[in-house]
Amino acid sequence: MKPLRQIGTLVRKDLALQFRSKETLVLIFVFSVLVVLIFAFAFGPIFPERGERGKLAASVLWTAFVFAGIIILNRSFVVERSHSALHGIRLTGVDASNFYLSKVVSNVVSLFLLEIVITPIALQFLDLLNVVTVGVLLKLLGVLSIGTLGFCAVGVLLAGMSTSTSGGESLLSVIQLPLVVPIIIGGAKCTVSLLVSGVVDDWLWLNLLIGCSLVFLASAYLLAGVVIEE
Amino acid sequence: MRLRASQLTKEFGHRAIVKNATFSVQPGEVVTIFGPNGAGKTTLIKILATLLKPTSGGLEIEGTDAIADASDVRSALGVVIHEVLAYPTFTPYENLKFFGQMYGVKQLEDRITTLLAEVGLQRFTHEPLRIFSRGMTQRFMIARALLHHPAVLLFDEPFSGLDASAKQFVLRRVAEEQQNDKGLVITTHNTELGYLVGTRFFFMIDGELEEVARKDEITAETLLLMYEDRIAL
Repeated sequence: MKPLRQIGTLVRKDLALQFRSKETLVLIFVFSVLVVLIFAFAFGPIFPERGERGKLAASVLWTAFVFAGIIILNRSFVVERSHSALHGIRLTGVDASNFYLSKVVSNVVSLFLLEIVITPIALQFLDLLNVVTVGVLLKLLGVLSIGTLGFCAVGVLLAGMSTSTSGGESLLSVIQLPLVVPIIIGGAKCTVSLLVSGVVDDWLWLNLLIGCSLVFLASAYLLAGVVIEE
Repeated sequence: MRLRASQLTKEFGHRAIVKNATFSVQPGEVVTIFGPNGAGKTTLIKILATLLKPTSGGLEIEGTDAIADASDVRSALGVVIHEVLAYPTFTPYENLKFFGQMYGVKQLEDRITTLLAEVGLQRFTHEPLRIFSRGMTQRFMIARALLHHPAVLLFDEPFSGLDASAKQFVLRRVAEEQQNDKGLVITTHNTELGYLVGTRFFFMIDGELEEVARKDEITAETLLLMYEDRIAL
């Protein structure tokens, strides 16, 4: 019970800090809207076919969420490191793995909230919102949530390492992106399927997405103690 | 025994910052470590607080191996170091509530109210820490260290940045904790306050810890003369 209570307390603290300062939330929202606008105005009118627009929308959504995710992950550890609050948390005796899980949960929640807001905006700009049903939209959010979990599972661990080094904020994107390629490919392929045909027609990509997310979560959970303590 | 350090050494690269530090703290004992800047006091406190792993040596806190089982002993520690160990965008109340919940402190609201009144921050309960002066931050850090009734208190330069009344508060509070059989380790370069607060005295020069005397064996003037001689060498 104590670990669950501690994880809950840590998640509430993370979300309170995020919503208190608002700087990260505003930053990732503006960044994501800009990505959507740039792609929509650069490519939107030249794709009359729904299939082509679906592929474009998948690229736009995953590009926006991957880079917004890196910003969120970086900020969530910069807050812990800047006044050694992380030392304060360690001194409470909390298990490093539970601290890791709390960071995954709070980052997934923040990124998923962004996805809920940005996805309809992107589909509207790419003229897809009127052809996508609510069911497909929910499936799409399901795919995005699984991808977000895998992305944050590995990202929290790497952000924990990179922010402890000088220049760590830029280091995170360099070390994280190659690792999450399977998640991005699996997620993007599933997103294309959903936006083009309304269903995931090749289960290989969904299995890849789910499998990688779970493997990343389990391995990072086991490694968290070493990273947080060192 | 509250704390036992044996042959603690910390090296950064080829440079030893703490060299074979060996001492113990009994219940009701206040160990004061005097040393100039750069002597290794902060590094030693961080090792005792389990925030830094020593290169070699052993550390027991409340009978538990604090190097192998660091997370098991941490809730027995109250720590004041140069870093805030809290969130500047949160208020003292929010920080103490968060850390109190993490420690599982009983009757937390009452505890927070009492502590903030004791350290003289009751008027600033709902102001964010980021606007605090150095002295006010130090008062908050002392409240944070005492929040969960720890058995061992580790204070690195606790008098730094404090005004006269806050220094009196620290002296009073240390005496109370001593009477409650807590073990305390305090580092300072202020021999006058360090003498008042301590029961056993050490010098730390260039990473080497050297026991000087117990309080009943030495006067404040002699301690000051010895310290000045020692750091002049």
